[in-house]
Amino acid sequence: MLTPIFREVFDDETIELRRETTGDDIDMWDSLTHMNLVIAVELKFKVKFALGELLTLKNVGGMLDLINKKNERLS
Amino acid sequence: MIQGNQFNIGHICTRQQCEAGFDDKVAMRWLALNQELVEYTFHDLELASNRFANALTSLGLRSGDVFFTFLPKMPEQFIAFLGALKARMVTGTLFSNFGDEALLDRLGDARAKCIITKKSFLKKIGRIRSELPELRYILLVDGEDNSLHGILNYKELMETASPDFETPLTDSDTPSVLHYTSGSTGKPKGVLHRHKSVLHQNRTAAEVLGLHGDDIYWCTADQGWVTGTSYGIIGPWSLGVTQVHFAGAYDAPAWFDILEREKVTVWYTAPTALRMLMREAPVIFTGRDLSQLRHIFSVGEPLNPEVIHWARRTLNRDIYDTWFQTETGGIMITNRPGLDIKPGSMGKPVCGIEAAIISDDGLPAPNGEQGNLCLKSGWPSMFVTYLNNDEVYRQKFRNGYYYTGDTAYKDVDGYYWFMGRSDDVINTAGHLISPFEVESALLEIDEVAESGVIGAPDDLLFEKVIAFVHLHDRYEWSRELELKLRLHVANKVSSIATPQEILAVDSIPKNKSGKIMRRVLKARYLGTDVGDISTMEI
Repeated sequence: MLTPIFREVFDDETIELRRETTGDDIDMWDSLTHMNLVIAVELKFKVKFALGELLTLKNVGGMLDLINKKNERLS
Repeated sequence: MIQGNQFNIGHICTRQQCEAGFDDKVAMRWLALNQELVEYTFHDLELASNRFANALTSLGLRSGDVFFTFLPKMPEQFIAFLGALKARMVTGTLFSNFGDEALLDRLGDARAKCIITKKSFLKKIGRIRSELPELRYILLVDGEDNSLHGILNYKELMETASPDFETPLTDSDTPSVLHYTSGSTGKPKGVLHRHKSVLHQNRTAAEVLGLHGDDIYWCTADQGWVTGTSYGIIGPWSLGVTQVHFAGAYDAPAWFDILEREKVTVWYTAPTALRMLMREAPVIFTGRDLSQLRHIFSVGEPLNPEVIHWARRTLNRDIYDTWFQTETGGIMITNRPGLDIKPGSMGKPVCGIEAAIISDDGLPAPNGEQGNLCLKSGWPSMFVTYLNNDEVYRQKFRNGYYYTGDTAYKDVDGYYWFMGRSDDVINTAGHLISPFEVESALLEIDEVAESGVIGAPDDLLFEKVIAFVHLHDRYEWSRELELKLRLHVANKVSSIATPQEILAVDSIPKNKSGKIMRRVLKARYLGTDVGDISTMEI
């Protein structure tokens, strides 16, 4: 469910996400595009990340788990 | 350094080093993202760049044709850069985060014939290819051939190319490196250098950075930036010095692992990175054996005194701030070992460089008085023109001085102090951003009626990009629209140009000629006096 967002944010249709995917695997993923990614994920999943939470994320799997945890809390 | 009147930068950085007995010396310690090490000797660089020069020649490309690299930091970038220079092609480097518009502006203006890139960036070039009739070849480092579209596999080309290449005798004025730089108006300008620039880059690498035979040197700059070519390739390799290059971006623990493990002796980095390091937990630095690290240098934006004090406390080292521009091709004014540091100052001019502070009336400004920072023209790495824009080039020179566009003052001890830009160009983390380019990208979005872009002071980035947008009446501001604008700027211009803040406003202040009054926007953003607004359109 994150793949379309990543493809749009990083303007790369070839992106195939895995839980282990990190910023090192995507050429355009830098600190500046990361902010765009955060906004896009927040809008799509109607969640809000705290700065501290973002700093602990190591990979796509971590982001997915965090989104799920936040949505569970809301439901 | 020059032998037999051969000024070719590619030759000097490879063949000449081999001839000097450095065949087996490591030229590059390449560190992949996982820090796996691959070493390249000067002999390796010589053969690989020869193959690349032969590959370009076999494609029918000739001396003076324009070639670009569009790659993240990777070994192929260095090989291609040196090989293209050996073939006497005008060689440009593009930041890998450039978007479609930024690429089109540069490739189109330069009438580039060939570009080397990777598969994940191909889509960007594909979208503008029809507007680049002169672009004949796209070399892919990680993709398959598609000869119908002029897409060629780099590895296959290299395998079939001969490792023997005799670099043609290249005189000092032969065009060499091309970097594009942003202005406050109009499109980015192609700053063209010549092979003679190696004289200054070599000399300052030795005399300012203090590089010599046994050094292990690490310049963190991207090769899309003039620092990345002048001091991440040319200067150190023209001296036969071993360089470390790391594929990754800023990563404090990884960087300090590298400094320690590779026994880096001279480190050249950027103020933004140093300011980020200041915010890291001290545990990253404590207990490190940095005994080999002799000097740290910085370039890109003014280095605030706090960073120098932090480095003295934490690393037990000084940081020497250096100043130069794309146009100057090499360090002009600098702090350096042996010269007392006045924290916050630019330092003093390099030997052989004559700097001056000139008032708007054309007269030298007295010590302590702010004016235009100028350089007496004629240094070896001085740019030779703005490509296709010689008129603007000539406007940069008056009475034998190059006007840098920076304002500064000189104190009674001869130290220079940076004050700001005399135009609206934004310096964010060492990258010059044209407000015009960002404003133009924002106007491409249907919802936006007007836009204005400024740089505002930032503790980390030196300046941050702030955008103001006035929407057409039928649209409302929303977070979705903000994301749309952010992505558009990131993908059209570059991620570096993406505004840190986008603010919806009722109107964009303009003067009676329709020019955006960015100083009014800036004053409003900062909550300071807007000054004279008598020319503002009501």
